[in-house]
Amino acid sequence: MKDNLQLADVSIVEGQMVSIDLARIPDLSIDVAKKPWKPVTDEHRENTCCILDEVCVLNIPRPKNRVEEEELVNKFLDGMRKLFTTENNWVFLPLLETSMEYCVQCNSCSNACHLYEMSGEHEMYRPNFRSEIFRRIYKQYVKKESLAKWRYGDMGLNWKTVTRLGELAYRCNLCRRCAQTCPIGVDNGLLAREIRKIFSQEMNIHPRELHEKGTMNQMKVGSTTGMTPDVAKENVEFIDEDYSEISGVGIHTPFDVHGSDILLLHNAGEVMAWPENIAAFSLIFQEAGLSWTLSSKAMAYDGVNYGVFYDDTQTARIALQHMLAAKELGVGKIVIGECGHAHKALTVIADRLIPFEFQVPRESCYVTLRDIVMSGRLKLDPARNDFPVTLHDPCNIVRLMGIVEPQREIVRKIAPKFREMPCKGVDNYCCGGGSGFAIMTRNNIEEWRGNITGRKKMWQIAEAFKDCLGQETRKYICAPCSNCKGQIREILEHNDLYAKNNFSYGGLVELIVNAMSNASPGFIKWEGEE
Amino acid sequence: MTTLFYILAYLAIAGFFCLVFLKVKSYLQASPLHVRWEIYPVPHEGEKASYGGSFMEEKEWWTKPRHVDYFGDVKALLAEVLFLQSTFEHNLKLWFRSYPFHFGMYMLMGGTIIVLLSAIAQTFGASPDDGGMIFVGNIINAVVLVSSLCIIGGGIALIHHRRTNEGLKRYTTPEMYFNIGIFVVFGFFGLFAWIVAPSYFVTARGFLYNLITFNFAPQPDTWFALHLLVGYFLLIWIPLTQMAHFFMKYFTYHDIRWGDEPTTYSEKNKRIIPNALKYAVTWASNHITGGAGSKTWLEVATSNPAAPKTPREWNP
Ligand code: SF4
Ligand code: SF4
Repeated sequence: MKDNLQLADVSIVEGQMVSIDLARIPDLSIDVAKKPWKPVTDEHRENTCCILDEVCVLNIPRPKNRVEEEELVNKFLDGMRKLFTTENNWVFLPLLETSMEYCVQCNSCSNACHLYEMSGEHEMYRPNFRSEIFRRIYKQYVKKESLAKWRYGDMGLNWKTVTRLGELAYRCNLCRRCAQTCPIGVDNGLLAREIRKIFSQEMNIHPRELHEKGTMNQMKVGSTTGMTPDVAKENVEFIDEDYSEISGVGIHTPFDVHGSDILLLHNAGEVMAWPENIAAFSLIFQEAGLSWTLSSKAMAYDGVNYGVFYDDTQTARIALQHMLAAKELGVGKIVIGECGHAHKALTVIADRLIPFEFQVPRESCYVTLRDIVMSGRLKLDPARNDFPVTLHDPCNIVRLMGIVEPQREIVRKIAPKFREMPCKGVDNYCCGGGSGFAIMTRNNIEEWRGNITGRKKMWQIAEAFKDCLGQETRKYICAPCSNCKGQIREILEHNDLYAKNNFSYGGLVELIVNAMSNASPGFIKWEGEE
Repeated sequence: MTTLFYILAYLAIAGFFCLVFLKVKSYLQASPLHVRWEIYPVPHEGEKASYGGSFMEEKEWWTKPRHVDYFGDVKALLAEVLFLQSTFEHNLKLWFRSYPFHFGMYMLMGGTIIVLLSAIAQTFGASPDDGGMIFVGNIINAVVLVSSLCIIGGGIALIHHRRTNEGLKRYTTPEMYFNIGIFVVFGFFGLFAWIVAPSYFVTARGFLYNLITFNFAPQPDTWFALHLLVGYFLLIWIPLTQMAHFFMKYFTYHDIRWGDEPTTYSEKNKRIIPNALKYAVTWASNHITGGAGSKTWLEVATSNPAAPKTPREWNP
């Protein structure tokens, strides 16, 4: 296993290319364990191309012979050629080409990346590492530029290069913090996503959580959670009942109300994992007297769009269905619930994908909630939120949409002990679950999220609460994004931080309901509370 | 030989503009419209730009007129181009080497424009010996000395940094060393020309005057001639390499990083999207074409690869 990793090693090294040494991973002031990597079984190694590091996201079947090896390489090259055609990639081509052509290899992006930092500055995690391999393959084997080897550096191309590059595209949260710092405007996050596209769109290779269980499931039954429209409606009815009791306010979540002002688009994962979030939204919208509805149409009761993590065609299909459902209901606008990638997919990406006549205006729930809270339509008692609160900035909503202040205005108004994390707002760090990893737990992905990807966020959280870490003080991590909550929950749970540090976590709406004078107190729960 | 020297100059200048034109054209023609892929802060967001906010923070933003603070964009672009702000903020060690190198080039470019204006003034009858001209000459001579030293010093420091920093070393290709090296050579020739010429300004103005009046007089100063020959090469070479970032940065910043215009406000984009959806997709995966021919983007986006297949009718 190489320590002194060179770019060309991806095509040369036999077996597992790198091993991330846990001893080099930084320690934190809170107890976030470095979990030993589970050994990769011989069977797994024999059958899949698990040859990059300890993690294996794609599980690419190992080619059995020369013919299969060549087939893999050729398919990859076919995909790469298509990626650079207007017909197949008009949506991203100019962005892709500039990122391929103008990098000056200054490494300014390295320090921006939390994976690079938290892997102990491992060479493989430089944002530019995978990009440079990709560029060299393109120049040498697709563009076939004369003097390519001299000009851009030599890169061997074989099944190992291809499969390692595929895996490398999944050693990135697509948070684009690196792109924010690049002096040229090169985007390594974009390149990681473009590589994912070749694998998905040309080679039928995708993480099953994103594709089979994700977008395909959403298109088959209506939601990535597997809930059919009837089940979703039923579950929301149960939530209404339960939380009417808990909050002491009768909650009724409307479905399919034609002509409402607002279609609220939740991440359906909330229904299953964080029902309090669904209830809190309903309670707030109801008490504020909004005209709103959910949709029970397949795909439209689930705002997620995993396509944005790996595949343009799936992105377009799902975004279109979201828009059509809103059109059908004749609503004035779509308000997107606490889900970062759903925000970006439908507001920003879909904006130039879906013909304008099929579009319905989209607003972030942070903005809608700010309007409700600041207009005084709710009776709020900030004293009920008399515990330290910090705010996580989901990359997709903050760095990539510029929605920074609305959520802060709310928290400042209702949480007197609010404190910012270091590196706040558009300078934030990804939670560690970004780009689909929050829902993956196999093949050391879980260990990886705790050891590397989610570590910087835990550093931010620890810094924000450094005056009150420990068991004495209750603390609330406000993470208004479903995927981010999933990631944070896992780290808190696995490291017993609920008990050790008296943390609770949740969204923005829970914090608002917790301060609502007409609801029973104690909407937010801490360890040991029912 | 003398005529060839001038012809090369015309070719280099024309070549430079043609190559820049082709680069820009290829960028613009890559797609009729690309997705929005902005990253905040976006400097044309007015007051919100100070913390990275956007128009999407406003309730029902689509009902409000669009405000774009172009001055904010210009200011940010100037800070980036003239001061290398990103590198200063995120890679200070590199900035100390890169900034003199770039600053030297900016001064030399600015100086060239002033010398050109002086040569044009001369064609309109300005005396080469009048006080104004001499004053300008003194400034240019100082600028050329400083800029040559900056390019040489910055260039050598950059090469040294790339050779000694383990991270950078792995990514620096032979061409990159060559690119910096050729600038250092260019700087040295300029410096020697400055040393041997009684006035670099007079030599340079004389050359440009000859160039614009098609007077192919011999070039008496060897160092200056070599300096120019390397300059001709650079004019052609820069647009062919990643050094073209110096003008493509306009697009990577203005059009991509800050390109946040919503379709609501763009009649042009409203027209483009339906047309772009007619492009034929040939992606081979099962959920797209399955390797069989092509479909339009519209067909792809309106199809559901996971829908239960309708059973075929039994037909004995
Ligand atoms: S992507 Fe940008 S910051 Fe990173 S090495 Fe390339 S030019 Fe430098
Ligand atoms: S997008 Fe984020 S995770 Fe990926 S390389 Fe850049 S900074 Fe690192």
